Amino acid sequence: MSLTANGQRIVVNDVHLSYGSHAVLRGLTLHVAAGEIYALLGGNGAGKSSTMSALLGFVRPDAGTVEVAGYNPATQADQARAQIAYVPENVALYDHLTARENAAYLLALAGRRPEPQAIDAAFEATGLQEAAWDKRLGGFSKGMRQKVAIAIALLREVPVLLLDEPSSGLDPKATADFNRLVHDVARRGAAVLMVTHDLLSAADIADRIGFLEAGRIVDEAAAQGADRFDVRDLHRKFTAGSVAA
Amino acid sequence: MLLRTELTLLLRARMAMFALILVALLSIAAVAAGMAEVARQRDVIARIAPQQERDLAAIASWVDQGKDPGNAAYYSFHATWDAPEPLAFASLGLRDVAPYILRVRALGLEAQLYDGEAFNPELALPGRFDFAFVLVYLAPLFVIALFHDLVSGEREAGRLRMLDALPGRARRLWVRRVALRGGLLYAALALPLLAGALLSGVPVGQCLAVLGLTGAYLLFWIGLTLLVGRLRWSSVANAATLAGLWLVLTLILPTVAHVAINQAIPVGQGVELSMAQREAVNRAWDIPREETMTRFYAGHPEWRNSPPLPPAFHWKWYFAFHQVGDESVAPRAAAYRNGIEARDRAAQALGWVLPSVGVQAALARLADTDMQAQLAYQDRIRAYHQTLRQFYYRYLFTDTPFGKEDFARTPRFPSS
Repeated sequence: MSLTANGQRIVVNDVHLSYGSHAVLRGLTLHVAAGEIYALLGGNGAGKSSTMSALLGFVRPDAGTVEVAGYNPATQADQARAQIAYVPENVALYDHLTARENAAYLLALAGRRPEPQAIDAAFEATGLQEAAWDKRLGGFSKGMRQKVAIAIALLREVPVLLLDEPSSGLDPKATADFNRLVHDVARRGAAVLMVTHDLLSAADIADRIGFLEAGRIVDEAAAQGADRFDVRDLHRKFTAGSVAA
Repeated sequence: MLLRTELTLLLRARMAMFALILVALLSIAAVAAGMAEVARQRDVIARIAPQQERDLAAIASWVDQGKDPGNAAYYSFHATWDAPEPLAFASLGLRDVAPYILRVRALGLEAQLYDGEAFNPELALPGRFDFAFVLVYLAPLFVIALFHDLVSGEREAGRLRMLDALPGRARRLWVRRVALRGGLLYAALALPLLAGALLSGVPVGQCLAVLGLTGAYLLFWIGLTLLVGRLRWSSVANAATLAGLWLVLTLILPTVAHVAINQAIPVGQGVELSMAQREAVNRAWDIPREETMTRFYAGHPEWRNSPPLPPAFHWKWYFAFHQVGDESVAPRAAAYRNGIEARDRAAQALGWVLPSVGVQAALARLADTDMQAQLAYQDRIRAYHQTLRQFYYRYLFTDTPFGKEDFARTPRFPSS
């Protein structure tokens, strides 16, 4: 792992991306530092998924630069992905495997073979009840699946965590639990980028919030003081952007 | 660890488990059915010799009273047989529709050769339930069942993006999954075959060839399934497309090609040849006997010095017109044979384009149950029949009495 200039783990500079004649990113610029949680807030079609795809190396930008822990995902996909733990919107793990088996398997796929005790400790850290550790995921709620996914992300010990709509479909209690976990990950030094359209969740968890509209950041807000964000102000910015989009 | 988890995943998926168990059961059933059929055919062949001896003994007692070689030649049937090769259980080929036992007399051969041609015609279309059937027609369906959703299933379950986001070595996941599924399918098919081969005493080389052929055919279908999978369609669309390809590649195209070959290379029925030979033979009753003998001696001058025919019936005239009857249809018989061989060559050439046809033909060739094997059996019958004729002619054309002890000298069909 290496850091980009100024300790930034995620660097996106003036990125343009088009699918055919349809431009999805138009000069996107964002930086996320180690230990920072950045929420990218945007409506449908704002370019959130395309940003994720560019960071994961699934698409190559037409212009601009993307770096993840010092690697360009478009040209150094393997190195970049080795630095990323990605938790998709719908955490779809293997229903036929137990939580433990899922963790061991997906970590092995990523090239890590943690001791069983380490997996247990990660589950414990995520608050997944011990009774569920050896149960198949078929009967797990979305919140429980996300805990497994976060445990896997913790065990990968990577510098970048990408979260795609993490609070989608979670009840308030589960959302709060999840946010606590993400904070734990960030405290360990990971740069966390979450794309979401859940303003309240973003306000609750993020250190900075970027408003994505038509493929670029149109506004940004940073957490300040105990209240962190003025939610009403965020809402105004968000709805203005969303309506405009 | 990864392989063990992949195996766990596969075995905990009911559909995959069911498919693998079913293909193993089908393979076991096919091998067992093939071995039972081969054992039955061997048993039938084994029963021929003692029955043949009893039959000849009865005729010999009667013939010995008059010592007439004509009676001996006319009333004696001589068994020929085509014993199955050890590998025949895997591909019964033509052995279910073409006769593997034929009792011949020293009379005209062509009519006797095709007596059994219409034997068991209802089996001609679907073929026997043997390993070749399971491999060629059923195994592709199991390949489709196990591989059609290899990638699309992950996409539909929402896991593909997460798997794609893993570092490079995760890409070996697909290789591992293909190898595991393909390996298990291969084992389910090949292990019963291997057991059957060991029990049947199949030579190692043949065994390896069949196992290689099985693997190659599975690889073709796996490759095709993966190619369709690369189109990024849904699992349902993949399955439907592959089912259509299966229908086209294993049923429609081979059938259309079969019809086209038959149209392009017209070959009459063997029974027509029999009829023509019989007509030629029967015509002899309506023409002067000397005419027949002249034609016969022209072709077989070694018997020209035989005493002239007496005014009464003489067997040598009877056998001579049978021989002349055979010879009169010889060009048609050669054309029939050439036509069958040309069709066979065309079908084999088709095998290079259609794997289902190619594998079926290759298995039948290895098992010696194909058209070439059938024609080789006919050749052995012809050679034996020629020996029989020569044996009896030595008595008939020299008016040598034929006694009980001469029966012991009758040529026997050589075991191949």
